[in-house]
Amino acid sequence: MEQQQMTKKMEVKGISKTFYNKNSYFTAIENVSFDVKDGEFLVILGPGRCGKTVLLNIIAGLEEKTEGAVIYNGKEISGVNPEVGMVFQKLALMPFKTVLQNVELGMKFRGVPKAERHEVARRYIDLVGLKGFENSYPTQLSGGMKQRVGIARAYANDPKVLIMDEPFGQLDAQTRYSMQNEILRIWEQEKRTVVFVTNNIEEACYLGDRIILLSDCPAKVKEIYNIEIPRPRNMVSKEFMDLRAKISDNTDLAI
Amino acid sequence: MGSKQKERVHAILYWGLPVLAVILIVVAWVLFSAQHPELMPDPVSVWKRLIKTFVKPIGNTNLFGHAWASLSRVLLALLIAWAFGIFFGILIGWNRTARAIFGSIFEVIRPIPPIAWIPIMIMWFGIGELPKILLVFIGTFVPLVINTSAGISMVDKINISVGKVFGGSNMQILKDIVIPTALPSIFAGIRTSVSSGWTTVLAAEMLAAQRGLGSLVTKGWQGSDMALVLVAVITIAIIGSLLSFLLNKLEKVVCPWNSNK
Repeated sequence: MEQQQMTKKMEVKGISKTFYNKNSYFTAIENVSFDVKDGEFLVILGPGRCGKTVLLNIIAGLEEKTEGAVIYNGKEISGVNPEVGMVFQKLALMPFKTVLQNVELGMKFRGVPKAERHEVARRYIDLVGLKGFENSYPTQLSGGMKQRVGIARAYANDPKVLIMDEPFGQLDAQTRYSMQNEILRIWEQEKRTVVFVTNNIEEACYLGDRIILLSDCPAKVKEIYNIEIPRPRNMVSKEFMDLRAKISDNTDLAI
Repeated sequence: MGSKQKERVHAILYWGLPVLAVILIVVAWVLFSAQHPELMPDPVSVWKRLIKTFVKPIGNTNLFGHAWASLSRVLLALLIAWAFGIFFGILIGWNRTARAIFGSIFEVIRPIPPIAWIPIMIMWFGIGELPKILLVFIGTFVPLVINTSAGISMVDKINISVGKVFGGSNMQILKDIVIPTALPSIFAGIRTSVSSGWTTVLAAEMLAAQRGLGSLVTKGWQGSDMALVLVAVITIAIIGSLLSFLLNKLEKVVCPWNSNK
């Protein structure tokens, strides 16, 4: 309903990525285009190992594209976009920094004064439910807690668009469900645009305003779904199961 | 209750075993020296010889003086080697051009054992302090460069991506992400440099020195004074293990996240 009025935040236009080796080449992404609307929770659902992380890295400006363009607020972006934040699949927390120092990283790089840095970081540590763990090192935390640090770190850097690369892929099922609710709660509280990548259909249906379904290698846009089911969504309701079945039937099997 | 008792038994065991090991060695020493006094002086005569180094100094100084002569050479050389070695290691690990220029030089120098430089050093610089310190420097500088640069270049690419996404400049990424990530490797280099420096200085002193624990070994050897050799060797061992004990403490201060596992 609201979605119709949402403005375009980002435009991914005809992105292709081919990796060249000595005497072979490999196309990971082929002509992928979609819009990211301001404030939405966009899910990119892809079956295999192919292309998703590369696509995100291109959107974040970490990797060169072979073809296409990333338009942000109407302007073409090359290199790292400072308004895009990222939660990494492999966590990539700094083991030598405490939770607080990890969360502060972006602000430290931007030269935010220490007192302000601490305050903002503590606010986001509270938001992700890690109050009391500010001075712990990542090795002392569980998998779910570590990913909460990754989420707090991304939010604390005040990104306008937040990319999450299969953030819950390494968590056990129980923790995964509770983190899905957490991420929705934080998203509703913070109202940033989120681009969330997953290979899990249920997770995609539970979280997304829209789902961009990618094909298996090379990744192409197969279908875009608008999800009208109001939140909080019931995973065993009929409409949810129907949607899930519909997407599942349309998904390439990953080997 | 049971697990607590088990813990106590373990505590006693792990404190007791090292002590037991030392006692066994001393017992073996006593037994062996009783049978072959010409090959191995017994602990009492070694102790007496140790006292004698204070009563009748060798080379105008007592045992402490000799130990300090060796230690001060090593420490001076180590300080210089740490400064240069870590700097070059970071440079080579981080910067491709620097690696292209210096990398192969270190690869060539690396397999040369430090004591192989002794004749060159003596011919070029005589037998004063400079050649000894230079020798220790060479022996400690190389492992530092190798360890540091390996640590820097092995930093996971994703950690650098994190730095870029969060807006870090190259220098900030180097300082806040890459160097701390490499710190355990750098510390491994420091550890190697200390043990290699301690070995090298003693070897250098054995060949040409008036003072130092190495020179005591040589003097004892030349004068068929096995007790003096043992005094020097035991002192060398004690100082060497003290150094490595101090390094363990230092590592816990420098890399606290490593000891929290």
